[in-house]
Amino acid sequence: MIKFKNASLGYGKAHILSHVDLEIKRGDFWGILGYNGSGKTTILKTMLGLIPCQKGEFTATGSLFGRPRFGYVPQKERLDPLYPLSARDVAAMGTYRKVDLLQRLRGAGHEDVVNRCLADCGATHLAGRRLSDLSGGQKQRVLIARALAAEPEILVLDEPLAGIDITTQLSLLKLLKELKASRALTVLMVSHRVSAERGLFTHIAWVEDGKVTTGPSEKMLASGKLNEVFKTEL
Amino acid sequence: MSLLIDMLKPDFLLHHAVWGSVVVGFVCPLVGVYFVLRRLVFWGVALPQVSASGIAFAFMLQGFGLNFMAGGEAQEKHLAILGSVIFTVGTILVLAALERKGEGLSEGRIGALFALAWATSILFVAFNAAGETEMLGLLKGEIVSISESDFHAMLNIFAAIAAAMFLFQREFTLVSYDRDTAVTLGRNVLAWDLLLFLIIGLTISLGVMTVGPLVIFGFLVIPPLAALPWARGMISFSVIASLLGGLSAFAGFYLSYTRDLPLGPVVVCIACAVYALSSLARRLVPKSKSSSFI
Repeated sequence: MIKFKNASLGYGKAHILSHVDLEIKRGDFWGILGYNGSGKTTILKTMLGLIPCQKGEFTATGSLFGRPRFGYVPQKERLDPLYPLSARDVAAMGTYRKVDLLQRLRGAGHEDVVNRCLADCGATHLAGRRLSDLSGGQKQRVLIARALAAEPEILVLDEPLAGIDITTQLSLLKLLKELKASRALTVLMVSHRVSAERGLFTHIAWVEDGKVTTGPSEKMLASGKLNEVFKTEL
Repeated sequence: MSLLIDMLKPDFLLHHAVWGSVVVGFVCPLVGVYFVLRRLVFWGVALPQVSASGIAFAFMLQGFGLNFMAGGEAQEKHLAILGSVIFTVGTILVLAALERKGEGLSEGRIGALFALAWATSILFVAFNAAGETEMLGLLKGEIVSISESDFHAMLNIFAAIAAAMFLFQREFTLVSYDRDTAVTLGRNVLAWDLLLFLIIGLTISLGVMTVGPLVIFGFLVIPPLAALPWARGMISFSVIASLLGGLSAFAGFYLSYTRDLPLGPVVVCIACAVYALSSLARRLVPKSKSSSFI
């Protein structure tokens, strides 16, 4: 679905990562791991089409034709709390793929889709509340519901567990595991920590010093570098 | 009470002024909500002044004998509108491009722009002494002397702007709130931003010609600020802001007419009083009851 071959990634003329080789197949659960500022989000932004691939080969192919449908969960801190949006309003944004003017004039929407996604994420009871009033874990559930409302083939999460207590982290990880199984999703999760989520990953991309090392999670977790990171976290 | 009803009737002497002010009061907050949410409030200060500078520039060209739309007073006004639209839309596009790059100090740019627009408005007027009185009238807003056809054209344009703001509210909200998600969903963020900025530019340009830059700033920013604490979603935010703007305009016109006061400052003072009352009431109503949108 996603393939980088000898790719250079970065912003403008500045290279952040070089010689990136990475292939994501349908049904994989990838963890893109590394320290803060290592370039994890750069990989994610290139995949999503937010920045162009600077050099090398990058392809993203969906099940039908063209790009795959992405469901994106951004870092919750990037969303401005000033907007007077309810959790339902935010989840409904996932359905804004088309203009649908006639449907809009008729007053029809995608309420059934939004309701189902909120329910799948255990966020139905939050629907009427203002997003900015919710806790970190509740916000994450709503943002995952929004990503699901886009009916994605690939779910992409940027630091979904940052700033969330361990109990909520575990419940979010359980939710992701269930969603992946029930919706046959391919999942990519960017994280600067690995302790709570390592059991979910089928593959890991470790980002450090402008390079990306990839492999199956068992192999990567057995490597000395990641072991060292785990010890530090523990 | 009868005067209030009479003011709305077509045979009222200042019929154009009442309806023009009220329509501008209703429509400006619809675009102003995006100034507030995108944290671009100072754009609302600078852009009406830029629009005024565009009007003055158009008259300066006429003073130099460069009259592209030769004819009577109506043509002069059309040229002024053209100057206002070009200056405003051009400035918005430049500002938006600089914001996207994220370089430099945004507030500094807007401050310098406001000073420049104010200074050039005065300078451009100085170059056409013959039309100075008329220009100063236009810079303050010439709703009273607007022709019947221009008045109806203005109403039609503002109706179209209001319709577009409601019809494309989802897109404008999405690209303002979360650009990355908008791109991920396949939306053309640049095109929607451009459309929003063009609508903002048109609203400000026509609004400045109608009621002057001071009132336009007041309508763009103050009603949305007053409405925000009570908003339960984007539609309610827009509707409350629009109602507050329209009612402030009508109340302002009534006071101005009955007390023989200048319209613009009265309208702005009333809008500010509404903002103060809204903020006070927000403090009195417990937050826990209003935090749920149900």
